Amino acid sequence: MNEFFAVFGRDDFLNQLLVHVELSVAALLIGVVVALPLALATFRSPLWAAVAINTGNIGRAVPSLAILALVFPLLGFGFAPSLVALTLLAIPPILINASTGLRQVNPQVIDAARGMGLSGGQILSSIQLPIAAPVIFAGIRTSAVQVVASATLATFVGGGGLGDLIVLGLQRNDPAVLIAGSLAVAALAIITEVGFGALERAFTPKGLLVARKRAHTPSK
Amino acid sequence: MKLKATFHTAALAALVLALAAFVLLAGCGNAGGGKQGGGGGGPTITVGSKNFTEQFVLGELYAQTLEANGFTVERQLNLGSEQLADEALQSGEIDFYPEYTGTALVALLGYEGENPPSPEETYEEARSRYAKRDPADTMLQYADFNNNYGIFVRREIAQQYGLQTLDDLAEAAPELTFATFSEFQDREDGFPNMVENYPGIDEFEDIVTANDLGLRYQGVEQGEADVGVGFLTDGQLTSEELVILEDEKSIWPFYYPAPVVRNDVLEENPEVEEILNSVTETLNVDAIRELNGRVDTGGEDPEDAARDYLEQQGLI
Repeated sequence: MNEFFAVFGRDDFLNQLLVHVELSVAALLIGVVVALPLALATFRSPLWAAVAINTGNIGRAVPSLAILALVFPLLGFGFAPSLVALTLLAIPPILINASTGLRQVNPQVIDAARGMGLSGGQILSSIQLPIAAPVIFAGIRTSAVQVVASATLATFVGGGGLGDLIVLGLQRNDPAVLIAGSLAVAALAIITEVGFGALERAFTPKGLLVARKRAHTPSK
Repeated sequence: MKLKATFHTAALAALVLALAAFVLLAGCGNAGGGKQGGGGGGPTITVGSKNFTEQFVLGELYAQTLEANGFTVERQLNLGSEQLADEALQSGEIDFYPEYTGTALVALLGYEGENPPSPEETYEEARSRYAKRDPADTMLQYADFNNNYGIFVRREIAQQYGLQTLDDLAEAAPELTFATFSEFQDREDGFPNMVENYPGIDEFEDIVTANDLGLRYQGVEQGEADVGVGFLTDGQLTSEELVILEDEKSIWPFYYPAPVVRNDVLEENPEVEEILNSVTETLNVDAIRELNGRVDTGGEDPEDAARDYLEQQGLI
């Protein structure tokens, strides 16, 4: 047990944790910045939405390790190739959820808004985005958890992070190091999941919450 | 109708007969194991190996040569560590497996203190310790290559800085980037050992911990790093682009591989010793690098690479 806790006191643990978080946050931010505008630009056209989503899915189908190997000749060792691989992993869930969420807004609601004289931009910002927000956030949450768990891969290209600990534990056949490293990643993933869950609720419009409650309460 | 029924019965009878014959034959094959030499269904030997490329290759080399000499061979070529392989050997689950002299001494045979100063002395120490165990084992002749850490640099860097030895490297370190892996940095006998014996070698301009062996080689070849650490038998070291730096103080134990066979297996099948030695004798660092490379970078199965090699050597 002491061996296990000693791992968290290692000189390099804090740095590995920090790098892991940095990598994850950066990949997620870039993922959001790329995927959201892409979803906004394409969701109105079924064709372009399908193209965008399927391109994203191809990115998801290529194993991250293969992406690392592919970008290595261009970017070399370190943070950059890890960030590229993780960003490609971060994009698809955000893109798919944002696109689907926006497309699922009830057309009658949009018609009503148009009837009230709202412009396209106003409809997007005050009707479609708020209604789609929970779905969009669910996508960001999925993406974030995936990225945190996958950032361990950075260890293979010298990107650092908690993967260093896990690989060290494996190579040295040292269960204390291996478990400590894995648990640290798991804890980060859980914190991410819970944190984004809270954000998701905070961003759900009150009207939707009321509507959901009604749907779940049996009428007398 | 009646004819049809008879036909069915006949077919069924034939099937039953065929099955019975199959079972009988298979049974005979097993019963013959361990008693007779020569011929197809000869004695059964179980070959083990640990679970990395070089061990798969060595396991296949020995297994196929035994098969060519009439033995029935079973393979357990995926044992996770030397401890597991050794347990399997001592409990009789496998009959032999290739082990490295230095690894055996420290990890299995309870050797403590200074490393024996030569490959020969390391082997003798391991061999005599193996012989004293219960059940006793024999470490057969070792192959002439050392699976040790290998520090390599890009040829152009070696020429530019005049690097031949680790001493030279210690001097040039402040201008070079070193690609390493977690275990090497962490092990007492890894990087710390290197720094103690070659002072100044820790003053690299940058140290990258890249835990993928293939990428370390690729990185050094294409200039992402200048110096890397791998193993002397890695297939990538056949590359003309890379130079291995000499460890003139010989700071690492010697890791020469040799089959470790349980004595009772040798007593029952004395010819095994000669057969295994005939393979071991052909091996050297170039041969094993080529074999490892064919598997690691060429994507060949260890089985195919081994067969090809044995055919070239005229052993099968």
